[in-house]
Amino acid sequence: MGAWVARNKWSVTLAAIVLVAAYIFYALSSGTALSMYKYAWSYAVPLVLCALVGVVGERSGVVNIGIEGQLLVSAFAGFFGAAYSGSLLVGMLSGIGCGLILGGFLAWTTVKWQMDQIIAGVVLNIVATGITSFYYKPGQVLPALMPHVSIPGLSSIPLIGEVFFKGTGVIALVAIVAVVVIHIGLFRTRWGLRTRAIGEYPSAADTAGINVIRMRLVNVTLAGVLAGLAGVYLSMDSTSSFERGMSAGRGFLALAIMIFGAWRPLRAAAAALFFGFVTATASQLQTEQIINVAPQLVGTLPYVMTLVVLAVAAGKVRAPGAVGQPFVKGDKS
Amino acid sequence: MKAKRYLVAGTAAALAIGLSACGGSTGNSSSGGASGAPADDSQCSQTTVFCVGLVTDTGKVDDKSFNQSAHEGAKKAAAASNGYYKYIETQDAKDYAANIKQFTDKHYDVVITVGFMMTDATAAAAAANSTTKFIGVDQAFDKTKVTVKNVTGLLFPEDQAGYGAGYLAGLMTKTNKLGQVLGLEIPPVQKYAKGFEAGAKAANPAVTVSTVYHPAGDNAFNDPTWGAAEAKKALDQGADFVFGAGGNTGNGALQEVAKASGAGDTVFCIGVDTDQWDTVPAAQKCLITSATKLISAGVTDLVEKSKDNDFGGLVSMGKAGLAPYHAFDAKVPDTVKSKVSDIVKQMEAGTLKTGVTL
Amino acid sequence: MPHPSARPEREPAEPVTPPAPPDSPAPGGPGDGPGGLLAAIFRYQSVVVILVALLGAMAIGAALIRYQGVNPWYAYETIFKQALFTSDGLTRTLAKTTPLILTGLAVVLPLRVGLFNIGGQGQFLLGAIAAAWAAYQTSALGVLAIVVGVVVGILFGAMVGSIAAILKTWRGVHEVITTIMLNNIAAGIVWWLVTGPFQAPNAGGIPQTHEIGEAARIPTVAGIPLGFGVAVVLALVCAWMLKRTTLGFRFDTVGKNRHAAGYAGIPINRVILLAMVFAGGLAGLAGALEVHGVMHHFEPAIAGTLGFDGITIALLARSNPLWTIPAGFLVGILRTGAAGLQFATGIAPEIVDLLLAITLLLVSIPVLGRWIFRSRAHKVSAASTSWGS
Repeated sequence: MGAWVARNKWSVTLAAIVLVAAYIFYALSSGTALSMYKYAWSYAVPLVLCALVGVVGERSGVVNIGIEGQLLVSAFAGFFGAAYSGSLLVGMLSGIGCGLILGGFLAWTTVKWQMDQIIAGVVLNIVATGITSFYYKPGQVLPALMPHVSIPGLSSIPLIGEVFFKGTGVIALVAIVAVVVIHIGLFRTRWGLRTRAIGEYPSAADTAGINVIRMRLVNVTLAGVLAGLAGVYLSMDSTSSFERGMSAGRGFLALAIMIFGAWRPLRAAAAALFFGFVTATASQLQTEQIINVAPQLVGTLPYVMTLVVLAVAAGKVRAPGAVGQPFVKGDKS
Repeated sequence: MKAKRYLVAGTAAALAIGLSACGGSTGNSSSGGASGAPADDSQCSQTTVFCVGLVTDTGKVDDKSFNQSAHEGAKKAAAASNGYYKYIETQDAKDYAANIKQFTDKHYDVVITVGFMMTDATAAAAAANSTTKFIGVDQAFDKTKVTVKNVTGLLFPEDQAGYGAGYLAGLMTKTNKLGQVLGLEIPPVQKYAKGFEAGAKAANPAVTVSTVYHPAGDNAFNDPTWGAAEAKKALDQGADFVFGAGGNTGNGALQEVAKASGAGDTVFCIGVDTDQWDTVPAAQKCLITSATKLISAGVTDLVEKSKDNDFGGLVSMGKAGLAPYHAFDAKVPDTVKSKVSDIVKQMEAGTLKTGVTL
Repeated sequence: MPHPSARPEREPAEPVTPPAPPDSPAPGGPGDGPGGLLAAIFRYQSVVVILVALLGAMAIGAALIRYQGVNPWYAYETIFKQALFTSDGLTRTLAKTTPLILTGLAVVLPLRVGLFNIGGQGQFLLGAIAAAWAAYQTSALGVLAIVVGVVVGILFGAMVGSIAAILKTWRGVHEVITTIMLNNIAAGIVWWLVTGPFQAPNAGGIPQTHEIGEAARIPTVAGIPLGFGVAVVLALVCAWMLKRTTLGFRFDTVGKNRHAAGYAGIPINRVILLAMVFAGGLAGLAGALEVHGVMHHFEPAIAGTLGFDGITIALLARSNPLWTIPAGFLVGILRTGAAGLQFATGIAPEIVDLLLAITLLLVSIPVLGRWIFRSRAHKVSAASTSWGS
């Protein structure tokens, strides 16, 4: 723990400052602060999940710009699965299943067939939009509400407990767990070491006896589960309906967040929360009519900041080396 | 070898097309309805056959909002006069004129165009097709530019509906805080929102209204997730009434309020455009009423009226008001009910002005 | 030949422009397959793959249409009839084809240097709104306002494109990421402008800009929108540029092997910058032409999905500029016919998007080509270089 803090002293210091500032704001104006933090977290949940999809894919060497499509189809499948079967569980499973299938599609076409990864992602997005708008049927309702739970103990922590653990949806909890698990997994386990190896230097990994193809297939496919969860969150948890195009660019925003978070799960989650809080602030400024910032321009902030970070911190913020390149055994290129 | 492969691929594709073609009908899915109504639109040029067409703006007829209302009204009107009805959902804003032309080419009697983005296209089509009547929903035609008589714009006093809803909320709120979650900042939405605020303040000067418009343009009416988050924030900050006005974005807000603890007892939501008790069943738990503009009824009326020589003006004012309370009938105190219905009556009579200007 | 960026095809029909010889005659299209029969087949192959993909997509589409209770033959017939044989059908199809060709070219050119420009949408939007604004401001100039609008549109599109190129060359940021970011930034800026500073006060609160002057509208002559002529000429110019000029040679060399290009003394950064500037300019021009030729004002719906359609076009065209013309025309036909299809059969117009998506899927899956040709020999290169580099 101590070593970890030492290595990440800047991040930890920043996190501490932010946390203190958050508590000060909370102490000053608990109602407003709490509602804004909750807003930020609900904004962040699907983004965190999708950013994790991107992180796992890219760490393994596969670019996934089809997250938007995975999100949309999962939201579609989740909602209509639940509406037609009358069971939330069936809905969730079909949403997750669709995320998995599309992840598998991406993995298979890019890793097995060496289709260009960008094109595969673009195709995925276009197909997703086409299918979900063509087969959309109005007038369906969810059989029930998604369960919301409070974690005993944790939920009584002031602020943090109230935001993350009190009356929270299951998927939001899964997102927290997923961030931690994948972060530890990537940097502390054999799976993580191998994943990073196949993403940085696949031919070396291959020489070391790692089955690059299989590992990429499995990683990218399984990451689809998270995209599926995010989709289910959109159509079943944060709202109770599916609408055409309801993913509204969140899959792309997640890519920005992944990069902003330097391909690291914890930082990506922090970035998602940060942008969530910025959006909450913009909305709060609009409702209280304090100053009239154009909300359209505030909405572009995550993108502008990502560009700035990429421009300024290039070299420090670096993508996995072999991302975007198909691996062909015995090919050293 | 290779040639063989082409052959396989080619025949497979041809076979698939051929097979699926087998037994297909001529492929006319009429949306007409009543028996005795014409089966297709080939006879529309005859005076005895009444044909109604509808062109959506870049939305769908199942959008739970104005396109759907207009669609239902047109369908009903066509059925009532034993006519034929068909619609086109525009996909590209550049196709408005062409899609209207599909109907005028077939000599439809009435063409309804939905949404203010089609104002210019509708005026141009009306000038070019004197035998067809045009109804432009939410379209304000410029008197100096449009001189033909075969067109009318169906407008609504959205501010009155908003005012009535705001008045109700102002009377009933316990926290003196109201929230509005809105779509794009365009005139119809602004009129609802400003009317709501004016009505609330008229009923209860102590009330504060927090208003938020969707920041992004392209999906401003189609982002229920954002709407839900904004509604949650409003509730967390003490609002006990949330007015969701903005297509699916607003619907997201309604659904979020329905999930909140105390939904229907201490916190309520107010829908918009149509009676959302029917269109957003997931919001029934909190949906006390909806600020409606009666698009369906307005369209039906105007279609009926189109059989006359002309519409009698470029502007046809439709009705706006409040939807029934449904299950909340018992929860709204009688004094509140009578006060609200008083206000609505005064507005209809024109004795009460909302004071809303854009 | 499953890969779009892999090589420039010698298209069957030579371009009609006189092949003006450049100063230094470029070596015959680099990367052309081996000579003789094999070359013929390779040249042929991509066309076959596309045709099979189209047929396959139409077959799947037929099944979907059939499932909706409509005769697929009748449906397809309606689409083509509506798009080509009604009174103004062809004009509308050509008008729709115009921006498709241009946004297609905006993807093709960067693909040739190994960049994937998915920023066509943002380049288009900013080009269009800048053109509409400039043309309105200069409407006193009459016809010259067309020139002003078009030039400003091109400049703004090129500017957006160059941001991606500069970040790429200067900081090594992957262009897919920057163009995605720029698309969203452009959308935000455009919506802010159109609901704020640039909103026409007489539009009754509708988010759109002023109408440009009558004289600044690009006319349709003899049923052919002039913009279409511009697009076709530019496609020919791009083809010529890639095939017959030193610059084109440099494009392809950089796209094929950046290291070799570096050793050969090709200024890689400048080539990348040029490719993205051209691409942005083409997309911006598409926006300007839509303003001047079709809409006569700017509203955000002007872009539709044109920027992203460019990707479809480029992939269908196998990154060959000349093939963007038929590819754009095909998409134009489908989009024009879609509304007529709904009118005639009641099928939702989204069927066309679905058809295109399936086509794109089949076109871009390498397995299709491989299955038809049993050729496993080729190596697949990524269309774009890696994320980080």
